[in-house]
Amino acid sequence: MDSNLAIRTRGLTKHYGSQTTAVNNLDLDIEAGQFYGLLGPNGAGKSTTIHMLTTMTSPTSGEAWIDNKQVSANPVAIRGMVGLVFQDSALDRTMSIDENLQFAAAMYNLPPKQANERIDELLSVFGLQEKRKQKLLALSGGQRRAVDIARGVLHKPKVLFLDEPTIGLDLPNRRAIWRFVEQLRRDEGMTVFLTTHYLEEAEACDHVDFFQKGQLLSGGKPSTLIEQLAEYILEINSPDPQQTIAQLSPLFGTPIQEDQQLSFKIAAHDVDFFQLQKTLGDTISSMQWRRPNLNDVYLWVVCHPSKGNQV
Amino acid sequence: MSWRPVKAVVGRELSKLFRQRARLISSMVRPMIWLLVIGSGVGSMLQGSQQEGYLTFLVPGILAMTLLFASLLSALTLVYDKEFGVMRMMMIAPIAHYWIVISKLIAATLTAMVQAILLLVLLLILGLISVKIAVMLLLPALLTAICCAAIGGLIAVWSKSIDNFAVIMNFFIFPVFFLSGALYPVNQLPAYLHYIVQINPFSYGVDLLKHAVPNVDTDFSITTDIAVLIGFSAVAILIACWRFSRESVHEPLFHRVTKRP
Repeated sequence: MDSNLAIRTRGLTKHYGSQTTAVNNLDLDIEAGQFYGLLGPNGAGKSTTIHMLTTMTSPTSGEAWIDNKQVSANPVAIRGMVGLVFQDSALDRTMSIDENLQFAAAMYNLPPKQANERIDELLSVFGLQEKRKQKLLALSGGQRRAVDIARGVLHKPKVLFLDEPTIGLDLPNRRAIWRFVEQLRRDEGMTVFLTTHYLEEAEACDHVDFFQKGQLLSGGKPSTLIEQLAEYILEINSPDPQQTIAQLSPLFGTPIQEDQQLSFKIAAHDVDFFQLQKTLGDTISSMQWRRPNLNDVYLWVVCHPSKGNQV
Repeated sequence: MSWRPVKAVVGRELSKLFRQRARLISSMVRPMIWLLVIGSGVGSMLQGSQQEGYLTFLVPGILAMTLLFASLLSALTLVYDKEFGVMRMMMIAPIAHYWIVISKLIAATLTAMVQAILLLVLLLILGLISVKIAVMLLLPALLTAICCAAIGGLIAVWSKSIDNFAVIMNFFIFPVFFLSGALYPVNQLPAYLHYIVQINPFSYGVDLLKHAVPNVDTDFSITTDIAVLIGFSAVAILIACWRFSRESVHEPLFHRVTKRP
C-alpha cells in the first residue's frame, strides 16, 4: 500500500434502509497534504462519505483507511487523527468562545496550558482574540463558523474534513474562511477534504472529484478540467432558440439550453466573436463570451454528459 | 483513557447549574412547597403528635424527590445536547462513546447532590432535621442520586428528541415518584400498588433515606436497599452505555434524509 496516502477507500458503500444508497462503491486515493474537493449537489452522499471516514457512521460494506490506519478497526485512534467541521455548528451557543474551545480541547485530552496556547494561536489567525470571552450568540455567522473551524483543528489533525464550510455565509465571510483554511494548510501541512456545492470555491483544490447519487463521475486538477473543457463559453439569449441552435450547432456543437438561454462551449481559440455578433444581428437579444470555470465543467460533464463532453 | 474529557463534561454541567440561578432556586422551591403544603395539608387531617410525625416522614421523601428530578433532568441533557448539535463535539472526540454516557451520569449524580445538600441546609435552618441526620442522609442520597441518574440515562438513550419531554414527565417521573413510598408508607398501600412499589428501584432509595431518619417506619432492610440500588444502577448504566454505543441510535443526528434531485 502506498504509505503516502492520507485517505484511501475501497468499495465504500452506505445504504440507509433498503431503499436509499447514499454512497455506492467509492474508491478514493488522496495523497497526504492534498487539498481535495468532493463536489456535487445536495443529497449526493458527500456528508455520508465524510461521516464514514470520521467514524460517525459505519459503512454498509467496503473499507477506508486514514493515514494507513483502518477506520473500522480503530475508531478512537481515527477520531484523534481527524478534524471534522460539520455543516451546521456543533458549538454550545450558551457558552463563550473560550468555554467552547476549552471544552473541545479537553475532549481531545489537551493539557490546559497547551490548550490555551493553541486557542490563542487559532483565534489570532481568525482575528477573534478580542472576542474570546464573548458568548457565541454575540457573534456573526461568519465568526461562529470560524470558531467551528478552530474547534476542528485544535488537536492539529492530520486530515481536516470540511463539510460545506461556507454554506449560508455572505461573500466576504466566505472569502475570509478560505483565507483561514489556506493559512492552516500552509502552516500545518494538513490534508484537507472539502465538500461544497459552491464550485468556484473549489478551484483552489489540488484535485476535485464530481460526485452524484453516491458515485464518482470524473475528476482531476481544476485548471486541467477547465482547460480540457473548452477555450471559451459562449452564452446567447435568443427569442428563437431553435433557429439559433440550427445556425450555430454546425460550428460549435450542441448547446446547453435553458429556455431562451443557450450556452455553447468552444474549443477553438481563434473565433471571431465580433464577426459572429454581426452575423447573428437582430436574431438574438444578447451574447457574451468568457473563459470557462469549474461551474461550466460541472454543467457539461455532470449535468449534461449526453452532449458528448466527457473530460 | 484519560479523565480529562470526563472532567470536561462534568465541569460543563456543573457550571451550567450554577449559572442558571433560576433552576437552582426552583429546585429548592419545589420540595419546600411539597413539604409545607402537602405536609401541612395532609398533616392537618392527622391528630396531634401524628401531625409532626408526618412532616418528619416527608423529609426523606422530598429529599428523594429533589434527587430524582435533578438527576433525571441532568441525565436528559444527553438528549438536549443531541438536539442542539453539541453532542457532535463529544462524539468526534477520541474517546469511546460510552464514556459520554458515563460522564453525563457522573455529572447528573453530582448535580443532584449539590441540590440535595442545599436542601439539607435549608431543612437545617428550618429546624426540621439535626446536623447528625443531615450527615446520615448524605450516603443514602448519593446512592439514590446514582440510581436516578441511571434511570435518566436509560430514558435518554431511548429518547429521540426533547419533544417527548411531557411523555417522560407523565410516564416516568411522576409514577416513579408517587409509587415509591416517598409520600406514604408502603405497607398501607393496596396489594397491587405494593407490587409496583417493589419493582420501582427508586423505592429502595427512598427507603434507604428513611433509615437515616429516626422514628420513620421503613419497608425494606438496609442491605436490601443498598443491594437493589447498586445492582439496578450497574445494570442500567451498562444497558445505557451499550445502547449509546450503537451508532444507529445517532443516525438521525448525522443523516437527514435529503431528497435527491
